[in-house]
Amino acid sequence: MSAPETTPGPPGSAPGPQPGPSRRRLLTGAGAAGAGVVAGGLAGYFGRGAADQATTTAGTGGVAGDSDQTVPFYGQHQAGIATAAQDRLAFGSLTVVDGTSRADLRDLLRQWTQAAAAMTRGALVGQVTEPDAPPVDTGEAIGSPVSRLTITLGYGPALFDRRFGLSGRKPAELAQLPPLPNENLDPASSGGDLCLQACSDDPLVAFHAVRNLARLGIGAVEHNWMELGFGKTSSTATAQATPRNLLGFKDGTRNIKAEQAQLMDDYVWAGAESDQSWLRGGSYLVARKIRMFIENWDRDYLQDQENVIGRSKVAGAPLSGGTEFTAPDFATAAIPARAHIRLASHEHNGGTRILRRGYSYTDGIDPAAGTLLGGLFFIAYMKSPRQFIKLQQSLAADALNEYTQHVGSAVFACPPGLRPGQHWGDGLFA
Amino acid sequence: LSSTDRRRAASRRITSRTTGLAAIVAGLALAAAGCGSSSGSAGAAKPATDAGTATTVSIKLTPQGCAPKPARITAGQVQFNVVNQDAGAVSEAELRTSDLAKILGEQENLTPGLSGSFSLTIQPGSYKINCPGAAQPHWTLTVGGKASGPAWPSNPQLAAAVSGYSAYISQNTASLVTSTQQMCAAVDARNLSQAELLYPRARVFYERIEPVAEVWGNLDTDIDGRWENPVTVQSQFMGFHRIEQLMWADNTLTGASQLCAGLVKNEKQLLALVRSAQYNPLEMASGATDLINEAATSKIDGEEERYSNTDLPVFQANVDGAMEVITLLQPYLRQKDPGLLATIRQRDAAITAQLVHYQASPGYDGTGYVEYSTVLAAQRRQLSGTVNAFAEALSKVSLQVS
Repeated sequence: MSAPETTPGPPGSAPGPQPGPSRRRLLTGAGAAGAGVVAGGLAGYFGRGAADQATTTAGTGGVAGDSDQTVPFYGQHQAGIATAAQDRLAFGSLTVVDGTSRADLRDLLRQWTQAAAAMTRGALVGQVTEPDAPPVDTGEAIGSPVSRLTITLGYGPALFDRRFGLSGRKPAELAQLPPLPNENLDPASSGGDLCLQACSDDPLVAFHAVRNLARLGIGAVEHNWMELGFGKTSSTATAQATPRNLLGFKDGTRNIKAEQAQLMDDYVWAGAESDQSWLRGGSYLVARKIRMFIENWDRDYLQDQENVIGRSKVAGAPLSGGTEFTAPDFATAAIPARAHIRLASHEHNGGTRILRRGYSYTDGIDPAAGTLLGGLFFIAYMKSPRQFIKLQQSLAADALNEYTQHVGSAVFACPPGLRPGQHWGDGLFA
Repeated sequence: LSSTDRRRAASRRITSRTTGLAAIVAGLALAAAGCGSSSGSAGAAKPATDAGTATTVSIKLTPQGCAPKPARITAGQVQFNVVNQDAGAVSEAELRTSDLAKILGEQENLTPGLSGSFSLTIQPGSYKINCPGAAQPHWTLTVGGKASGPAWPSNPQLAAAVSGYSAYISQNTASLVTSTQQMCAAVDARNLSQAELLYPRARVFYERIEPVAEVWGNLDTDIDGRWENPVTVQSQFMGFHRIEQLMWADNTLTGASQLCAGLVKNEKQLLALVRSAQYNPLEMASGATDLINEAATSKIDGEEERYSNTDLPVFQANVDGAMEVITLLQPYLRQKDPGLLATIRQRDAAITAQLVHYQASPGYDGTGYVEYSTVLAAQRRQLSGTVNAFAEALSKVSLQVS
């Protein structure tokens, strides 16, 4: 195996904005020092990382473009929620294996915290140079800029059963979702004790994060399911252009934007209303794997596609007129009664909003039919799962249901952010 | 695959939808009427007036004739209000092309004291109001202004196609009702094997016309919903497939009589709706594509007839319904896009060539086909590819007829 320093790095790459060695700097500037620098640098990360990090609220992060950009791991809220949506997603749902003790779980969450803090500033999770040992970091992201990597942790409802003595810490609202319209859920794509949402502008960096965290947990956790998102479908910051989903329509025009602090407080961050103090400053994550019957959609004539959505396809303007960001006029029949944007709107749902942060996914080809398996891996953050339930119930009559079906579902409670020195699980196990 | 396996299969389709054909207007339809259609409304003495912004033309049937008032109008949406006060020998008014060759709209069976109306989008030109039995049966209506609204009603080929489609939908829906009643008679007689034999025969009529039924909200789900549908529309799992589940999965008719009666009731409601609905060529084309989408998403994987395994005859019904649209549009398409027509015919033939392998006599459950569970995965995938190619070609018809 070749030593990492022989891996060619990008020519003339500059250090990232964060102090401390990055994967890139190690590789491009440390040739003379060789493996020792890598090892020493790693030791340094775990010991000092906290001091390097912002200690207040995690920012919304930059917008894609500067691939060396990092998003602070520490802050009032976990990164990866209000963070301007990155281009790529790796989402892991994990199950805690039988025999894992409360102490084991807490220990794993500590390890994960350290590794996540390292990876989000572009460091490896462990040595890759010891000839007689398997490398600790799996290595595929060596040389890849951190690309705004964020790692967000969530706790599933089943974590609060008797196994870990957490039943008293279970938020009352953290439960499997009730049966909802237009779903036919596959257990193999649903649920989970823990989730790890890794987002980055580089797919390899995102995948590397989930892979390495899961690997650190081998013996305590197992993969339940994993989904890769290859294109963001929602803008979450005003500076971002609205992306498109696989239907070819802009998605997220009216999403909550991270800059809208009042809306974030009102609809996204768990606050004083939460029955569990450890959750305050956190948020509920609802994940829904939504298969699109892509071939059927593609065969629908444009005018009908636009009537199904309620927007024009190319410009993204509501059918009631104007441009993309013109507020839809739901008083007019120009937006049909069953149009998706009408039924999903906060106007139609007593003001209910959520922060959408989904990604397009594909699982390749349906072996039975030879058709595309893919759609939207919907992720949304909210103060209470009731928000999603209400919206999805409203979508029972959605014209779009003809072309979609929810095939996976999970809900997680994401704890608040950490200060340097704190670890995931501190609040939960306190 | 067992029923349970199939139920768990990941690719599922929800049957409730209102998309492709949402433009169909039910009830007091104001869209253009085709030849011989029983459009419009008839009622006692008082003309309908809910024409919105449409121009209104009044026609009084008298022993002398049926003079339109006004006799000169502007092109666009027009409502014709026809009233018969005392003309015993005259009972209908028709709007015809100036050469009298083609009926564009009509109101029939207006005996003295009755009135009715019909509406359509009319293009500039000269037309005749015809009232057989009057002293002067032909009256001129002059339409000025610019062409507006859809042009297809003035195209005889498209108008005939729409008229034929309307008749096809109504006929199949009527057959759906009678064939379901036959199945229900067997259910009521507690004759399970006979009811099972009659089930796919009734299903076929529905699967030829389903996209039209899907326009009316819950009606499609009430008739054709799967067990996973109820939460979709907050209704019950109560139609064909609930009865199918009882008969094949539970091997019983207990409770089926009541379900059957409800099914027939819903089908009769559908029949009333389709008889008063108005169609257009775009909806026809889109409906044909939707039928094959249906075949692709819910027949190939055996989802739809998961308990009975009678997927092949209803698959054939989807294809038949789509090809009926093509046959109706053929005179028009032959001129407009002969290449597309040829491609569609070719791809339909490719499906037929594959289905031949699965035909049997009398076949599984008397369907003329083998049991779908015997069709292997590789064969299903081959069928899927052929179906997708067929649907893709069909989806190109909408532009040609719009």
